[in-house]
Amino acid sequence: MRRDKPKTPERGRKGLSRRDFFRGAGVAVPTGLLASQAKAPKAAKAPAGAAPMLGPGRVPITLRINGKVEKLELEPRVTLLDAMRNYLDITGAKKVCDRGTCGTCTVIMGGDAVYACQVLAIEAQGKAITTIEGLNAGEQLHPMSQAFVNNDAQQCGYCTPGFVVACKAFLDKHPNPTREQIRRGLGGNLCRCGTYTGIERAVLEAAKAVKGGSAHA
Amino acid sequence: MMPWLEAFHRPTTIAEALRLMKRGGRRARFVAGATDLLVEADPAARILVDVGRLGLAYIKPHRGGWRIGAATTMAMLEQSEGMRAFAGGILARAAAASGSIQIRNRATAGGNLANASPAADLAPPLLVLDAQVVIAGQKGKRRLPLADFFKGVCQTALKGDLLMEIILPPLNRAAGRRGGERSAWSFQKLGRVESDIAIVNAAAGVGVDAGGRCRWARIAVGAVAPTPLRIAAAESALQGRPLDSESIALACETVCREARPITDLRASVDYRRQMSGVLVRRALEECLAGIEPPRH
Repeated sequence: MRRDKPKTPERGRKGLSRRDFFRGAGVAVPTGLLASQAKAPKAAKAPAGAAPMLGPGRVPITLRINGKVEKLELEPRVTLLDAMRNYLDITGAKKVCDRGTCGTCTVIMGGDAVYACQVLAIEAQGKAITTIEGLNAGEQLHPMSQAFVNNDAQQCGYCTPGFVVACKAFLDKHPNPTREQIRRGLGGNLCRCGTYTGIERAVLEAAKAVKGGSAHA
Repeated sequence: MMPWLEAFHRPTTIAEALRLMKRGGRRARFVAGATDLLVEADPAARILVDVGRLGLAYIKPHRGGWRIGAATTMAMLEQSEGMRAFAGGILARAAAASGSIQIRNRATAGGNLANASPAADLAPPLLVLDAQVVIAGQKGKRRLPLADFFKGVCQTALKGDLLMEIILPPLNRAAGRRGGERSAWSFQKLGRVESDIAIVNAAAGVGVDAGGRCRWARIAVGAVAPTPLRIAAAESALQGRPLDSESIALACETVCREARPITDLRASVDYRRQMSGVLVRRALEECLAGIEPPRH
């Protein structure tokens, strides 16, 4: 299910974007800063993507998500989660708490599990980002996803994409996990249906599957 | 999140970072992992100055102690062999308890201190380790004890300057260590779950002589006062006495008396006060167990 892309970034259904609102509210100061900074020799010398002064308007942002390079123009305030969901239609990472608590937006960035709602897109440049969409090889489920299916590790399924990604990142760093390590290592994801015991079994099973080389881990 | 943000700077030198911060005035904030910033979402923060490109993510040995860059992540601290071995690994333990892995991969040591939450998990261990902080300002660098860095709830001695580095002095110098002395350290945390914000946290270190007498003690607690606190009265309650359940109980009573907690949605004044004593007791008991000579 793909949603229509917004015609212009930040423009909601009502026509008045938040940016329009704040511009209308008379936020004029940074424009001057932007102009003066753009002339600074430092800015000219800085490597691409590292310009020292960015915003408030849209700036070029390049993200590498699931092996694909995505070129965007976003305001610096846009989080990685919003960038993926609102501008790229990569909707596997869910937006639930939007404050770094629930884990449904978990992605792997530079090898580490992070909350996509807590990383600004501008800060996510230059690092390989993997979402749930990037785990599978074609039609074949990643061993971690398959283990969720085998162990009934989801009920409503809303936490599942973030949980599977968090489990994958956990297994990458703990290939032979104990139950205690699993409980501690996955404490950053919540499942309100309470499927934790199934998830624990799934991680143990996936650990074996990955080691057995049964799939593309 | 934070729709009011106006500008984002990515300076590559400390001088430039300071200049941008000064120009932004009250509207500007330094940002590292953004794990506090994006949650607190302070509407007064309109300009962000990223400190991620200043080369401040490092853990280096330094004259028998350590230098920790302000942009070092919690995950780096907990995984560092050096930090796991230094002073019973209390700093690595505190980092490992400071949030979920998704947070710890982003949150930084400098951010944990500069945010100045009374419950900051790195604060009690750093206080008992006699840590110092290096601050870069318009007039150059300055260095001050961490105990003088915290000024109140979310208030520090920074005043727009940049926290660059945390210095851990060598243990023998910090503790005035002499021959025959054995020392041990502990970090304790009480939260609804471990990765949650601390209801109370505590750290302790003790050194005892060959006769089991306490030569020095360092005790710090967090989340029971506007700033994380060293409890000097509890430390001196132990000094010169045999380290045993009696002296530990005395020190814990002192901690409870010195604590100045508040009631919030996580815990009441009375509970926090009582638990500050319990956590310090657990810490000192762990220290005691750690310095007992091996039994045959």
